[in-house]
Amino acid sequence: MSVILQLIVNGLITGAIYALVASGFSLIYSTNKFIHFAHGAVVAFSAYFLYFLFSMIGMNFGFAVIFTIAFAILLGWGMNVVVYRQLRKRKTSSVILLIASFALLILLESLILILFGATVKTIGFIRAATSIEIFGAFITPLQIFIIISSLVLLSLFLFFMKKVKVGKAMRAVSDNKDVAEIVGISSEKIYSLSFLIGSGIAGIAGILVALEQNLQPMMGTNLMIKGFVAAVIGGIGSVPGAILGGFFLGLSENIGVWFLPLGYKDAIAFVILFIFLLLRPKGILGIKKREEK
Amino acid sequence: MIDAYFTHLLILIGIYLILTLSLQLAIGYTGLLNLGHVAFYAIGAYTSALLVLSGVPFIVSLILAGIVAMLFGFILSWGTNKLRGDYLALATLGFSFVIYNILSNWISFTGGPLGIAGIPKPSLFGISFSSNFSFFILTSFIAIITLIIIWKITTSPLGRVMKATRDDELATKVLGKNTFKVKTYSLGIAAFFAGIAGSLYAHYITFINPSSFTILQLIPLLAIVIIGGLASIRGTILATIILVLLPEPIRFLGFSSSVVGPARQFIYALILLLILMYKPRGFYGKVELE
Repeated sequence: MSVILQLIVNGLITGAIYALVASGFSLIYSTNKFIHFAHGAVVAFSAYFLYFLFSMIGMNFGFAVIFTIAFAILLGWGMNVVVYRQLRKRKTSSVILLIASFALLILLESLILILFGATVKTIGFIRAATSIEIFGAFITPLQIFIIISSLVLLSLFLFFMKKVKVGKAMRAVSDNKDVAEIVGISSEKIYSLSFLIGSGIAGIAGILVALEQNLQPMMGTNLMIKGFVAAVIGGIGSVPGAILGGFFLGLSENIGVWFLPLGYKDAIAFVILFIFLLLRPKGILGIKKREEK
Repeated sequence: MIDAYFTHLLILIGIYLILTLSLQLAIGYTGLLNLGHVAFYAIGAYTSALLVLSGVPFIVSLILAGIVAMLFGFILSWGTNKLRGDYLALATLGFSFVIYNILSNWISFTGGPLGIAGIPKPSLFGISFSSNFSFFILTSFIAIITLIIIWKITTSPLGRVMKATRDDELATKVLGKNTFKVKTYSLGIAAFFAGIAGSLYAHYITFINPSSFTILQLIPLLAIVIIGGLASIRGTILATIILVLLPEPIRFLGFSSSVVGPARQFIYALILLLILMYKPRGFYGKVELE
C-alpha cells in the first residue's frame, strides 16, 4: 500500500513539471500551429541560467529567480522574432518550422555543453531536507512546494485563458486565425504573446527542475519529449488537456517502474504516445484537429 | 599520418553518403519526413556486430544488418501509415528514442551503455579489410552500389509513383496506385541502406555504444539532405562531402575534445537553421517540404 502511494506521490511531482512544460508548449502549438521543439531548450537553459546566477556568481536567490524567468521569456521571444517570424513571412509549412525548432533545440543544447561542460551540476539551494511522512509515503517540503506552485500557476494560466480578454483572443486565433484577424486581432501579436507566456512558464519549470534534480545538458530534449507526449495525450493544442496529460504521464511513468526496469522509464512515454497516435490521435479531451491545407 | 587522416575522412564520407542518399529517398523523393533514420543505422550496426561476434561471416552479417533494419522499417511504416507531416515526424523520432532506450537497457544482449567492443575488421573471401585503405575501397564500392540503386529507383516507375505520392497522395490513390505500399517500400529501402551503413560503421570503428546513435546524429543527416536539396542526388553528394569536411578545421584550433564535439553539433544545427531561413531549397532542390 505504501509503495503504491509513494509511486503516486512521485508521479505527481514529475507530473507537475511535465504539466508546466506541456501547457506552455501546448499554448504555443495552439496559436502557432507548429511543434516548437526548442521549448525544451528554454527549460534547460533557464535551469542552467539559474545555476550560473545563483551558484556561480552568488546572486541572491530571489533576484536570480526573477532574472531567470526574464531570461526564459527573452529567449522564447527571441527565437520567435529571429527565426520563426522570418520563416512565417515566407509562408513555410509547419514541417519546416518543426525542423527549424529541432535545429534550435540542438543548437541551444550544444551551447550549454560548450559553456557549462558535460558534468552534472547541482544548485544546492535547499540542502537535503528531512522528508515528511504522509500515510507511509515520503515527500520533502520542496516537493510539496513544487506541486503546489505548479498547481497555482496552472490555475492562473487557465483562468487567464478563459476569462481575460487577451487569453480569449489567443483562443480565438487558435480556433480560426482568419476570422480572428477579421475581428481585429493581430495574429502576429498573439504569436509573440504566446511565446512570451509559454516561455515564462517554461522558465519557471526550469527553476523547479533545477531545484529538484541535477542539471544535465541534454535534459531539454528529454523534457520536451515528455511535454510533447503529455500534450498529445491530453489533446494537442488544448491547454487543460496538456495539464491533464502531464499528470497522467508522470503517474504512468512512475507506476510503470513497478513493472519495468528503471532504464525503460523514458520508453514508457513513447509507448503511450504510439498508443494514442494510433488509437486516439485526438487525445483524452478529444479536440478535433482541423484539416489544414 | 596525413594520409591516414585523409583516408579516415574519405571513409566517413562514404558511410555518410549511404545514409544520406537513403534518407533522401524517404524525405526528398517520397515526402516521408523520417526522423528515425539513426535508429535504422543503429539497428544495422548492432545486428552486424552481434552476428560477426557470434561467428557469422562478414558478408552475411552485412546483408542481414540491412534486412533486419528493413524489417523494422516495414513495421514503422505499417504503424505510421495514416500519419502525415508533423505527426509522422514525431512518431519516427519517437521510434528512434525507443530503439536508443532498448540499446541502453537490454544489457545482456547489447551490452547497455558500455556497448560492444572488439568488433573485428571485415574480411571477404579471404581478403582482409583491416587497413584503412582497403576499408576505404570497400566503403566506396558499397557507396557506389547504393548510389546506383537509389538513382535507378528514382528514375523507375516506382520512383515516379513515389514522387506522385509526395506531391499529392490523394490524387495518386485516385489513379489506382497503392500509396501505402509505395511508402512502405520507400521507408524499407531507406532503412536497408541505413542498416548497411551501420554495419560498415561498426566494423570500421570496431566499437559501438548507444551514444553513437542519439538524435544528435540526425542533425548532420537532415542538414545534408536539405542543403543538397530535396529530391536531388548530386546535391546530396555535394552536401555530404562539404558537411563532413566543414567542421574538421575545429580539431586543429586546439580546443579540448570536450568542446570539439558540441562545437560540431552547434555548427551543424546553425547551418541547418540558416539554410532553412535563407535558402530553403538547398543547392539543387526541386521541391520544398510540405
